[in-house]
Amino acid sequence: MLDKPASALRIRERLIESERLMEGTGCYDGITELSLRNQDPLKFETLHTKLRAYCVSAREMARRISASPGVREVGEMVVAIYTPEGDAIALSNGIMVHVHTMSRFIKWMIRNGYEENPQINDGDIFANNDAFIGTVQVPDVMDVMPIFHSGKLVGWAGAVCHELEAGGITPGGDVALAQERFTEGLFVCAEKVGQNDELRRDYVIRCERNLRMPIYWVLDEKAKVASCIDMRESVKALIDEIGLDYWMQVSKEFIEEGRRAQLARARQLTVPGIYRGHTFYGHVTAGKPGYQPLGDPDWLYNMPIEMQITSDGKIIMDFEGTQPWGYHSMNCTPAGMDGGMFVTLTQTMNFEGFVNDGAWMATELKLPKGTWTNPDSEMAATATSWALLLPAYGVFQRLLARSLVARGFVEEAFVGQVNSPMIEMGGTSQYGTLFGMAHFECAAAGSGAIAIKDGLDTAYVGWNPESDMGNIEIWEQNMPMLYIGRSIVPNSGGAGKYRGGCAFLSTWLVSKTDHLRLVTSEHSSRVFDNGGLCGGYPAPTCQKHRAVRDTNIFELAEKGAPLAHHTGTNPYRSELEVRLEGKHVTVEGPYITAPHKTGDVFTHSYNGGGGYGDVLERDPVKTAWDVENGFLTREAAQGIFGIVLDEDEEGFPVANLDATKRHRVEMRAQRLARARPVSEWVAKERERVKAADFAPEVKKMYASAIKLSARFTRDFSAFWDVDAKSTFGVE
Amino acid sequence: MTSYSKEVIADLVAGTLPWPQTRRIMSAYKDDDRFFKYVAVLQDRVGWEEPILLPVGDHLFICQSGDERVTKCECGHSFGDYRKNWKLKASIIVRDTEELLREIYPNSDLPDPEWMEIREFICPECGTLHEVEAAAPGYPIVHDFEPDLEGFYRDWLGKPLEPSSKGG
Ligand SMILES: [Zn+2]
Repeated sequence: MLDKPASALRIRERLIESERLMEGTGCYDGITELSLRNQDPLKFETLHTKLRAYCVSAREMARRISASPGVREVGEMVVAIYTPEGDAIALSNGIMVHVHTMSRFIKWMIRNGYEENPQINDGDIFANNDAFIGTVQVPDVMDVMPIFHSGKLVGWAGAVCHELEAGGITPGGDVALAQERFTEGLFVCAEKVGQNDELRRDYVIRCERNLRMPIYWVLDEKAKVASCIDMRESVKALIDEIGLDYWMQVSKEFIEEGRRAQLARARQLTVPGIYRGHTFYGHVTAGKPGYQPLGDPDWLYNMPIEMQITSDGKIIMDFEGTQPWGYHSMNCTPAGMDGGMFVTLTQTMNFEGFVNDGAWMATELKLPKGTWTNPDSEMAATATSWALLLPAYGVFQRLLARSLVARGFVEEAFVGQVNSPMIEMGGTSQYGTLFGMAHFECAAAGSGAIAIKDGLDTAYVGWNPESDMGNIEIWEQNMPMLYIGRSIVPNSGGAGKYRGGCAFLSTWLVSKTDHLRLVTSEHSSRVFDNGGLCGGYPAPTCQKHRAVRDTNIFELAEKGAPLAHHTGTNPYRSELEVRLEGKHVTVEGPYITAPHKTGDVFTHSYNGGGGYGDVLERDPVKTAWDVENGFLTREAAQGIFGIVLDEDEEGFPVANLDATKRHRVEMRAQRLARARPVSEWVAKERERVKAADFAPEVKKMYASAIKLSARFTRDFSAFWDVDAKSTFGVE
Repeated sequence: MTSYSKEVIADLVAGTLPWPQTRRIMSAYKDDDRFFKYVAVLQDRVGWEEPILLPVGDHLFICQSGDERVTKCECGHSFGDYRKNWKLKASIIVRDTEELLREIYPNSDLPDPEWMEIREFICPECGTLHEVEAAAPGYPIVHDFEPDLEGFYRDWLGKPLEPSSKGG
């Protein structure tokens, strides 16, 4: 089975040559003509479909090997086939964000002389989870294997799984407490972890001794290796059939075709021009246990994005004006930023399944050095980079949505994704064993609205287009907590003519353990980290955590008295407070606290998406249905949407169309009476800006953006007619 | 080539096309003649004659008004030269207290008004809510979209615009 290379691979020279050709011709690897496609388009398309099928089936097979509910249930995996230079030719479904991060990993090994040492041989297995080499965060562990044919390196097979436990300072993988690289978990830095199609025993031992729940990681490794071998053998059999020369040429043509398709798609679906948008993120950790005093504990992040669509259809995204990287876990590497771009494009513009690295080549990211998008210190932690990535790419989706609305493709105009914060845990399991796990039901947030319909309720996340929350029973097998509630959160989607999708909230009873560490990944505090579009409101995404320690829940159950199954709709007194006795806790920002034990109750809510269009245009009939099914409250229907609901004989809500019409006329008049000219507001607000009369974190945000960006400084100064630098005391 | 009738596009835009049909449109190859049908549908919807050149929001359009190109509300109100930020000519409601935020977010935890405010940009004539910004206090108002209008018509649609004496 194994194939020894006939001579030195010289793949590094090939990579440099390929890049030089792209620079010279503007086409991938100098492929200026799709000659094989032109010769026999049917054969060309059939092969492309075959490659795609190899990937999809390898991933499905691998999911059956995995022990992790993240991979088995929720599908946190993707596999892909690459050229010898590391460019993706075809990929499976799943967490497509990693297709390009894996590309970076392969190229990194090639550039760093891996051909000579540790050598690239048939049957080798290379693993990586270092985001500065090519991944998003520590739990995203990738394995790649070279594909040899006739003694020649002809490609790579690669697979990524999101691991549910990465051995960091707190259990799970999205380790909010990591403030530097050194507390994020077990790093495997582009390491040869196996030979002759087998994982090295010493590598497996290292995993077993450094992880809280090694069975997830180790079996996922085996699943990934199996999928890589499966893809490799399929590609080799294909080459036997079509010939090596044909393969080497056709694989490049697929990528060049992907690049051209992306440009054509942009010209077909969008409008050229400059698009701008922003979102914010509140990082609040003051007083939380475990945080080292390395930087300011509280931080407000601004994330402005300027997107340009050029006349040839290239999409350029510029993050200038955003905040510096910090001693927190939310920094992102260029690999992660690439990944965010790639997965967003696959969903918004390249949805027919033939996407590959060509699409990525038709875009450009401008990531200012020193910001969270491109830290100038490789010691920066990236364990929860999704916390900033998701809101940022939600902005990108809204910018694209504007262009789709302008062009008329309203059915694709999507208000976008939100951060969906995960809970993670470790300690003693219900079986009395040590354990650790990330709970992946977060992979089912509410989505933003579409320009013609409501967003998806509890059924979308940006990183995996096949969103899934997993079955309660499976999660309960893997953790010492029992669900006492999993419910829709009413009014959690942003309001609008079309509302954002709603979030859900889980309520758990800690069971059969005296030591359960519960932590959450980063999520925004004090500000919403999403937006609406064309008059739609952002979703309320700064939820706090509510827990009750030492509850009387077992006594209540004994008596058959009602329990709390959710937090309810009263923001000032939760259902937990109404129903349960015990020590009530409300925590802002990441949940990091002392261990829980049997009888404690904990709740965690995911996020809804932003709305689209003016709320006063929402369909009253649909709204009655929403109220009946718990997506909206009656109070919100009337107060926000202006919809008057009556009740039918059975007590179900029915829209009163006439009363609604009258009520809305009144609300519109109130709006106009309340509003004032923007010019007036700007003149008044200018005085506040001149005096820098803002909260310390807001001032710090402006000062940091001004220090890093001449453009932000210029725009701020011009808009308010002030000297931004002197206003915020920047030298 | 995929193509739909103007009636289908009108229903799609109004959100009244039955879901199975909408779903088929989403899954199919896109119709290359969409833009002008879309504009025709919108032109029928607005109560005024000035030709729509480019929709830029749900009820906001760049249109040819005499020899000017302006951003216009569906009600007919003009926000002036399309190259300028229409928001600066709009009306605004700013939700910067807990009480005002609570009106829109009755059940959830609220932003800290010291950290974030909600700005609603409204047509001063008809009261339509055109855009919402959630921003830190003091953050400049965003100029959402500066289309390359002439390039779009010339290079992508192949139908160059008549030269305009004013407004680009
Ligand atoms: Zn108006």
